[in-house]
Amino acid sequence: MSELRADLSRRRFLSGLAFTSGAVATGLGSWVIRPDWANAAEGPIKLGIATDLTGPIGYAGNADANTAKMVVKQLNDAGGLLGRPIELFVEDTASNESVAVGNVRKLIQRDKVDMVLGGITSSMRNAIKDPIVARGKTLYIYPQLYEGKECTPYLFCTGPTPAQQCDEFIPWLIKNGGKRFALPSANYVWPHVLNEYARKVIEASGGEVVFEEYYPLDQVDFSATVNRIVSNKVDVVFNTVIPPGVGPFFKQLYEAGFQKNGGRLACVYYDENTLNINQAVEIEGLASCLDYFKVLTKDDPVSAKIQAAYEKDYPGNFLFAAGSAATGTYRGLMLWAAAVKEAGKVDREAVAAALDHAKIAEGPGGPAEMVPGKRHCKMKMYTAIAKGGNYEIVARSEGLVDPKECCAAARRGMARMERSRQAHG
Amino acid sequence: MASSLVAGFEILSFAAIIVLVVLGLGIIASMMGIFNFAQGEFVLLGAYITYLAASRGMPVWVGMAAAPFLVGGFGFILEALIIRRFYAAPIVAMLGTYALSLIIREIVRGLIGGLYLSVPEPIGGSIDFGSVHISAWRLVIVVVTVGVMIGCYLLLARTSFGLRVRATLENPALARASGISTPAIYGATFAFGAALAGLAGALVVPVFSLFADLGIRFLIQGFVAVMVGGVGSFMGPVAGASVIGTMSAALPWIMAPVIADVLVFVLAIVFIKFRPQGLLSGKGV
Repeated sequence: MSELRADLSRRRFLSGLAFTSGAVATGLGSWVIRPDWANAAEGPIKLGIATDLTGPIGYAGNADANTAKMVVKQLNDAGGLLGRPIELFVEDTASNESVAVGNVRKLIQRDKVDMVLGGITSSMRNAIKDPIVARGKTLYIYPQLYEGKECTPYLFCTGPTPAQQCDEFIPWLIKNGGKRFALPSANYVWPHVLNEYARKVIEASGGEVVFEEYYPLDQVDFSATVNRIVSNKVDVVFNTVIPPGVGPFFKQLYEAGFQKNGGRLACVYYDENTLNINQAVEIEGLASCLDYFKVLTKDDPVSAKIQAAYEKDYPGNFLFAAGSAATGTYRGLMLWAAAVKEAGKVDREAVAAALDHAKIAEGPGGPAEMVPGKRHCKMKMYTAIAKGGNYEIVARSEGLVDPKECCAAARRGMARMERSRQAHG
Repeated sequence: MASSLVAGFEILSFAAIIVLVVLGLGIIASMMGIFNFAQGEFVLLGAYITYLAASRGMPVWVGMAAAPFLVGGFGFILEALIIRRFYAAPIVAMLGTYALSLIIREIVRGLIGGLYLSVPEPIGGSIDFGSVHISAWRLVIVVVTVGVMIGCYLLLARTSFGLRVRATLENPALARASGISTPAIYGATFAFGAALAGLAGALVVPVFSLFADLGIRFLIQGFVAVMVGGVGSFMGPVAGASVIGTMSAALPWIMAPVIADVLVFVLAIVFIKFRPQGLLSGKGV
């Protein structure tokens, strides 16, 4: 311990100065949040968060980091895990994959964390998973809703998958909108893969896809698209255009009278943050399907407690919202904590084995449990529509919805990739 | 028929937005020889001022009216403090203004928490002609753009201030010898260019909502428009912006949007290869 102290003298000294419970900067964008009883016999359990604190999706990354701080504080106040406190290391992935890989290596090699949670975009997950899981030999939890097909050992996903966001939502849209779907989309991996799944569900539910079209990520004029939607008498716009394009797109749709003529707008990443992109009247009736909406706090005491705790500690711009992966972060950390308790140690193999079937009874939106062997999470799903600048829940899943990921086909694909990687050295 | 009317109007309105954004950029590039990379952030500041006014409960048009003056004033101060030192080295000016743009953009990003925020338009909704819906605010933008274009042309072509600006551009030494204070003219021109950007930001923010990358979204298109139109005159960049704006909005009607996006730039590069002086080669105003 004394050698360690000598090694980390500057940080230790500073943290001593700050009476140990404060946050200590360890370089640009890195923070250590030390519990006030960090000197317990075995030393703290180290938890790494790697998320986009800066850059275009900084609002989401900060919400995730805040959620992690809140959860860790709660766990520490309740006696930590296995009698040991949890020490939180936060690194910025800065919406930049090469910066992220460097910072994640810091977490793994310098701070020697026992688990890393983070990444918001799929490109970020793909960039940091190898440094964490393969070279870093560490557990990785990815908290964001995404396009699925991630089936890497030691990588656990705690956000909604296409099956969870489409299986109940699309039949609802057909019933409450119509059969003719348009899929306007941003041109990157999530919309492409999600649409592939959505199309199957639409067709299986008796609907049809009138057109599926991809736009450059920075496109902000959608007059041609809106015209196509109106002239083809589309009933449901299943949108995966992302900001900055989504604001002008919805506005143009509204001005063309799409909703006024009975059209239904749908967008599965829409949460409390994205409500402010447009004026309320422009997205009135927009339907979304997520694992959590703030409006649930009205009738779910657990969600209300979590939401209130978050808002008390972190009032301001960074909302506790599903689309920011904040709910996935909460769920991921609690599932991991349950797994550590069951395993009785923080060793990767033991925790992964316990996490494989971990369950939590209380989480935002309801309980959650990992599907054994699939490394994805069952959770409750809610359909909500925008009404006067807020959401109103219009449908909820019966029980926990299956993620339907990492099934046989996906595993075969992984094996193939693995073989070709070995073949190419 | 109805559909082609809508198409025509939508294309016109997007071209008008590009022209509006490029006006200030073009004036600074043509009249001062400075490629101002911070121009996009002046647009952003105009948008931010409009948002601030609206979020403080003031009528939106108050913010819109104030934006050009505040951004113009800010441009004047920047010119006196920083830009002035770059006139001798245009490349350094690009880097310097790029640095400025980063600073302004990241400050605004911090202030708005990296979010996307809607700003209501003073005149909202749509004007309906039977089954044809035309966005009222886009119509306002088209009208204001035409007004500002004519105003700028008259200012540069018909007033003594315009004459002095052009003289300063043409031959600074002779202008100074004739008793024109060239530093004052440069300061005023830069402030005017910034004010136009502020106005553009204020007018387009209800259409695109406020976000930190609002300005940079139009910067590349703006520079391409200036290159296509030709540096050295007021009319050149305006003509270039009309062409680029029209193409950007029109091509997605007839082909896949992802291809259209690239094709605009490919066509621009080919055009500049064969006509490097641009559409209007610096003649006239």
